[in-house]
Amino acid sequence: MTSPDLSPRPVEPVVGRRPRRVLPSLVLVAAILAGGVVVTRFLTSAVDYYCNVDEVGLRDGCDRDRRLRLQGTVTEGSVESDGLTTSFDIEFDDVTIGVDYDGEPGGIFKECIPVVVHGYFDSSNDRFMGDRVEVKHSDEYVSVNDARLTEARESACQPSA
Amino acid sequence: MTPTTSPQPTARRATGTRATRVLGIVTLVMLGWLLLFGLVLSPADIDQGDAVRIMYVHVPTVWLAYLAFIVTAVCSGLYLFGKRHSLGFDRVAGASAEIGVVFMALTLISGSLWGRITWGVYWQWDARLTTTALLFVTYIGYLAVRGLDGTRERRARRSAVIGLLAVVEIPLVHWSVRLWRSLHQEATILDTDLDVDIDGLMLFTLFSGVIAFTLLFVWLLLHRTRTIALDDLLASRGLDRAIAERRAEVSSSSPSGGGS
Repeated sequence: MTSPDLSPRPVEPVVGRRPRRVLPSLVLVAAILAGGVVVTRFLTSAVDYYCNVDEVGLRDGCDRDRRLRLQGTVTEGSVESDGLTTSFDIEFDDVTIGVDYDGEPGGIFKECIPVVVHGYFDSSNDRFMGDRVEVKHSDEYVSVNDARLTEARESACQPSA
Repeated sequence: MTPTTSPQPTARRATGTRATRVLGIVTLVMLGWLLLFGLVLSPADIDQGDAVRIMYVHVPTVWLAYLAFIVTAVCSGLYLFGKRHSLGFDRVAGASAEIGVVFMALTLISGSLWGRITWGVYWQWDARLTTTALLFVTYIGYLAVRGLDGTRERRARRSAVIGLLAVVEIPLVHWSVRLWRSLHQEATILDTDLDVDIDGLMLFTLFSGVIAFTLLFVWLLLHRTRTIALDDLLASRGLDRAIAERRAEVSSSSPSGGGS
């Protein structure tokens, strides 16, 4: 009996077949590159995202002469705006720093809420010149209709831990 | 006499069954329930206002992505360390990872919209966002590896190894807000002090979302796994056809072949 011919047969080229084989390799290379970028950003930015107000000049990486991301709670009654600049104080653990920010802070910025301000210290007046304000809201969710509203508002301005 | 019927190669095969259809209807009802509570009945937040409603999509999608990646890891382990090395586990692992990647993308999109409203920025390279991005990229890489050349078993083996390694990123993402200083808030429910600081109706709506999205995950997983199984069946039928063609060549070329 004749054995079957198992040698590969010529196959007609199929339109679009090559890109399907190449695509996973390209995606894999892109994913590895993107992963490298993300890890780099993690090591350079995410590990120490901010300095608390009370750590300025004390903690490694929180020196006054470098660009900082400063975290603290906006002090009650300290927010003032002249239309161009918004000035406010932020405090953490009984230490307060004055901030000047060009423009209106975005997000849900208001008094008694924790914020992270990006900027640098102005050596002439010792105020922190912010160019970005990020609101760091808490993990508490309270209904606007809640009977505990007053209590929540009163406790909202407690210094962040 | 009733004529006998043999299985037809072109017989219609679908991924749906009576059970999946019922599951689909229940999922739709739950998603409608979520819409009702998420957009109408649940209250606004004193700080975030109506933006808090994004949470009812954001949290369930990230839960679903975690669940999907854990299912991928479990099935990868069952494939790799099981006695039979069943490709069925590999199919579930692949299907689950695909669903996880889609929902992780939705998590990043919904989180970035929520961040713009509350923080004031769409994106920031803080610990939670950065580790989440890494998790997302890792599973895109996993899916890419599944698509590389090789035999079905070889592809299953190497993707199973990655599926087992990648899942360790999940606790890193979850605990990133505790391990490092982050702009992202800490967990409200799954935190260590067991103090759940959330309004009752908001919590109920959030759980409704988690249940609705979990049902959706099961429905999607069943259909996608069956689709992959049908793809494999199609590929094996191509091989069967090629073998049949070779046999036909032999029988037609042999002196005694071609008839009885």
